[in-house]
Amino acid sequence: MGQHQFEISYVFEYFVKLLPSLKITLLIVFSSIVIGVVVGLLVALPRLYRIPILQRLAGIYVSFFRGTPILIQLFLFYYGMPELFKVIGIDISRIPALYFVILAYALHSGAYISEMIRGAVAAVDRGQVEAAYAMGMSGFQAFSRIVLPQATAISIPVFANLVIGNLKDTSLAFSLGIMEMSGTARTIGALSQRFVEIYLALAILYLLISLALQKLFIHFERRLYRHEADAIASKREPRRGRRSFFRKLGPVTELPGKEARL
Amino acid sequence: MIKLTQIKKSFGRHQVLKGIDLTVEKGQVVAILGPSGSGKTTLLRCMNYLERPSEGEITIDEFTLNCRRPSKSDIHELRKKSAMVFQQYNLFRHKTALENVMEGLVIVQKVPKEQARVRSIELLEKVGLGSKLDSYPSQLSGGQQQRVGIARALALNPKVILFDEPTSSLDPELVGEVLSVIRKIAKEGITMIIVTHEMGFAQEVAGHVIFIDDGVIVERGTPNELFGSPKEERTKQFLKRFTPDGVYSI
Ligand SMILES: Nc1ncnc2c1ncn2[C@@H]1O[C@H](COP(=O)(O)OP(=O)(O)OP(=O)(O)O)[C@@H](O)[C@H]1O
Ligand SMILES: [Mg+2]
Repeated sequence: MGQHQFEISYVFEYFVKLLPSLKITLLIVFSSIVIGVVVGLLVALPRLYRIPILQRLAGIYVSFFRGTPILIQLFLFYYGMPELFKVIGIDISRIPALYFVILAYALHSGAYISEMIRGAVAAVDRGQVEAAYAMGMSGFQAFSRIVLPQATAISIPVFANLVIGNLKDTSLAFSLGIMEMSGTARTIGALSQRFVEIYLALAILYLLISLALQKLFIHFERRLYRHEADAIASKREPRRGRRSFFRKLGPVTELPGKEARL
Repeated sequence: MIKLTQIKKSFGRHQVLKGIDLTVEKGQVVAILGPSGSGKTTLLRCMNYLERPSEGEITIDEFTLNCRRPSKSDIHELRKKSAMVFQQYNLFRHKTALENVMEGLVIVQKVPKEQARVRSIELLEKVGLGSKLDSYPSQLSGGQQQRVGIARALALNPKVILFDEPTSSLDPELVGEVLSVIRKIAKEGITMIIVTHEMGFAQEVAGHVIFIDDGVIVERGTPNELFGSPKEERTKQFLKRFTPDGVYSI
C-alpha cells in the first residue's frame, strides 16, 4: 500500500512517463516473436516429416520450454550461458542482458509456435495435398502453395494469443534488470510510493497494446479467411447481437462477420 | 496405352489387391464396379501412386514404372501422365475456381499465366461454370465443385483421367449435372477410368466394364455382356442388388 491518497492525475502522469520504456517492451516482443517463428518452423518440420533423431530432439526442446516457468528459463539463460561458453573458451559475460532476454523469450515462444504450426498443418485437409500430388506437384510445391497458406490462416487466432501472452510475459524481464515497462514502473513506484497509480497506468498501457494487437490480428484473419466467406458468415449469424465492445474484448478466434468483407 | 501388370497391394497383413492385370486403350472409357471394400479406390490410387503398390508394373503412355524401387522422379513422371477427380472434390479451398484450374498449368506445366488463364476460362465454360470463375469452393454447391474438379483435371491435358466415385458425395438432384459433363468429355475421346456405383451411367458411357471383388478382377466385358449376361456367380449377385429382378434392361 502506498502512503499517499489515490490521485487520478498521477495515473496520467505516470502513463506518459512509462511511454519511453514501451520501446524496449516492443523490441523484446517483436524480436523474440520473429526469431520464435523461424525456430518454431525449424522445430515443427522434423516432427511433421517424422525425421528420426531430429524429431526426438525437437520433442525434448518443446517439452522443456513448455514445461518450465519462463522466469526460470530467463535465469538459466542469463547465468547459465556464460558458464557454458566459458567451457569452450569464449567470454560472453559482457553481452548485455537484453540479448539473453530476447533469446530466452524467442526460444520460449518458438516451442509454442512449433506446436501451433504442427496443429495448423494437420488441420489442412489431406485430400488437397493428394490433389496437388496427383497433378504432379513436388512435396515442396504442395507444402508452400497449398498447405502453408491455409495453415497460416488457421494459425492466426492461436498466434494472436501467443503474441499477447508474450507481451505479458515480458513483464518478468525486469528481474534481470531490463528497464522495459514493468521495470520502469517498479522504479517509479519505489521512488514515489504511489503504487496504485503507477500499476494502474501500467495495466492500462498493457491493455491498450493488447487491444491494438487483437485488432491487427482480426484484420489479418479477415483477409486470410476471405475464401471461407460464406461458411463463416453463416456460422456467426446467431452471435450478431453482441455489442461491439465485447467483441473487441473477446477472443480473437471470433470470426469476422460477412458485412465486413463485402 | 495403359497397362497394369500384377498390381498387388497390402495394408499390413490385409491383402487388398491380389494381382490386377488391366489394359486400357487410348480413348476408351472403362467403368470399374464392385462392392464396398473390394479395392476399387485402392486400385485407382495405385495408378498415380497416391497409394504405393507392394508389387507390379504400371505403364501409362509408354512410360513404365516398376513398383519395387521407383525413384522420386519416376513417380513424378507417372503422376504427370494422369489426372484425378476425387469423391470429395478436394479443391484447393483458398483458391477461386479459376485459380484451381490454373494451378497445375502454371505450377506444374509452367504455362505462362495469361495463356493458362485463357485455357482455364475455356474449360470452366465448358463445364458450365463460366459465371463462377471467381467463386471460392465454399461458395459453390457440391455439383459445381465437382465440375471445377473435372475442369482442373482436363486442364492438365492428361493421358487418362481417373474418377473415384465422382458423384457419390452429391445430393441426388446434383448428380445429373456432373454425369452430363463426364458424358460430354467421354464423347471427345479422352481416356477415362471411372469407379462408380451409378450402374445406368456406367452402362451408357463406358465401352468397357470391369467387376472387382475381394481384390481380383472377377469379370470384364462390354456393358452388354456384363450387365446383360454376366457369367460369374459373384457378378450376378452384385448386380442383383441394383436390379431386384436380376435382369438389367439394356
Ligand atoms: N490406408 C488404409 N489402411 C488400411 N486399410 C485400408 C486403407 N485404405 C483402404 N484400406 C482397406 O482396403 C480395402 C479396400 O478399400 P477401398 O477403399 O479400395 O475399397 P473400395 O472398393 O473403394 O470401397 P468403396 O466402394 O466403399 O469405396 C478395405 O478393406 C479397406 O478397409
Ligand atoms: Mg472407394
